[in-house]
Amino acid sequence: MLNGALLAAEEINASGLGIRLEPSVLNPGGNLSQYSALAAKLLKREIRHVVGCYTSSSRKEVIPLFEKHDALLWYPSHYEGFESSTNVIYTGAAPNQHVLPLVEYLIQHHGHRAFCVGSNYIWAWENNRILRESVMARGGSVLAERYFAIGETDFHQAIEAIIAARPSFVFLTLIGTSAYQFFRDFRAACRARGIDQAREIPVASCSLSEPELEAIGEGAVDGHLSSSVYFCSIQSPANLRFLDAYEARFPKGPTASADAEASYNAVWLLARAAAAARTDDPRAIKAEVVHQHLDAPQGKVWIDEQTFHAYLTPRIGRSNRQARFDLISEARAPVQPDPYLVHNSSRFEAAAVPSLRLVS
Amino acid sequence: MTEPRLLQNFSGSRAIVVTDRASSLDVLTTSLNRLGVTTNPADIVESLAAIDLATLQADRDVIFIDGDGDISDAAVLPRSAIGRLPPVPIIGLLGVSAPSRLKALMRAGATSFLRKPVHGAAVYPALFVGVNEYRRHRHLEALLEDQGRRRRGRRDLVKAIIRTMSEYGIDDDEAYDLLRRRSMAMRQTMEDFCKDLVESPDGREHGEFVLRRKLAD
Repeated sequence: MLNGALLAAEEINASGLGIRLEPSVLNPGGNLSQYSALAAKLLKREIRHVVGCYTSSSRKEVIPLFEKHDALLWYPSHYEGFESSTNVIYTGAAPNQHVLPLVEYLIQHHGHRAFCVGSNYIWAWENNRILRESVMARGGSVLAERYFAIGETDFHQAIEAIIAARPSFVFLTLIGTSAYQFFRDFRAACRARGIDQAREIPVASCSLSEPELEAIGEGAVDGHLSSSVYFCSIQSPANLRFLDAYEARFPKGPTASADAEASYNAVWLLARAAAAARTDDPRAIKAEVVHQHLDAPQGKVWIDEQTFHAYLTPRIGRSNRQARFDLISEARAPVQPDPYLVHNSSRFEAAAVPSLRLVS
Repeated sequence: MTEPRLLQNFSGSRAIVVTDRASSLDVLTTSLNRLGVTTNPADIVESLAAIDLATLQADRDVIFIDGDGDISDAAVLPRSAIGRLPPVPIIGLLGVSAPSRLKALMRAGATSFLRKPVHGAAVYPALFVGVNEYRRHRHLEALLEDQGRRRRGRRDLVKAIIRTMSEYGIDDDEAYDLLRRRSMAMRQTMEDFCKDLVESPDGREHGEFVLRRKLAD
């Protein structure tokens, strides 16, 4: 994420756009209490545009500060939706741009029986809810939802339960090291029983990117499905330019990913809007940013003026042994963001199982 | 009676706002629009009396009432008989959170509140709670109505059990079970079935009433 933002800042400074960006980098180290402290520090220094935050909990920590100082947070991560703060520009995918396309694909190609495994926090809860409603609306079922503390690495029981239940697919919302360990252990457990895991019980995720594939390591890296608006295997001149510049600037990695691209786009959108507004005033920039169309690595990207989320192009990729994704599905055009799923969900929550009782 | 499912997507709904401070509604109307809830200029009115009651639809409309204005005319809204519910969900807009204003809004039928100045992020939760609480109250009201009707029918049920016991020489449990099975077969509530039975001239159910077969089932 940081690399994408830094690369964009350097490109902007060299581009003759008339904008000069001086990045100030602070690292909360994933420590939730540090986010608001560091954001306050930046805002105190009259910095009014901050690109960052990965988890929803960190974003929620800092939003009140941005609202108080009337500054803008450029949030470059895909997330679970149901938010649209007036002081945030969201350049990552909304749920209709990652979860819903994945559910559609899974049901069409793999079946109706889902098994959910996730980290015990809002990302997993909300994505599982969306998945459950979509699957049930199509007559499918969610066999189980298992949640684990963030950082947990013992999945023995869950893996046994999955193998016994034989779902059509596993919907994974584990994050970080938990996810990597799950991929390795699940593959090994299936292999020991002669199950071709990637083919018979594929694992699908909305937060699996190239650097994470590298972290899973050999032997368990291939055959996983990921829904994202960006994969580095996209073959477009804009992406090849981005990848060349990224690799030249960060030869030691990590590999470019959806998060790097989203923060790269965020900084470019910020600079374009600032150039058009001729000021760094957040309100003026907000008014201008909706007029900026970016030829981004993933394709055309622009900000929706109603929700301040981005129009993005959903894609599904299947991981290969080179720790990259082969594109297997792609939207024809950028999709309008729908953070509240106003246009993409049923009016009512999914029906519960009918409560029948034996009367005679 | 099945409990109503939670409403989570408000797309297609209409918000009516009752306020005499229409100039400060930007955040509310913008946030509602993002949720697919429309607020036309004609839907922003100064008093409850200005609402065209004939056009109200409980499954589509929501009324936002500014508690800082005069809402003494809340009586213009028709109320349901049991729960005193207004015809559509009401959400109170609170500037002054003094007990008198809260009371007035609750009396008007508010099932949730939004603090002024309205914060965009608070609109969805207020709508979610307000509309779903309203729907839950409606459901409870229907349940109460049904229970009342059943309670009034108990007299016929007791009569029918006694009559069946004496007619067929069976005990009260068997008579109850028999009547229950027959009412289910006739797709009637037990109370309605027993009422028909008690009111029929020969005290029997319309059509055949084959006790032996029924007891053998």
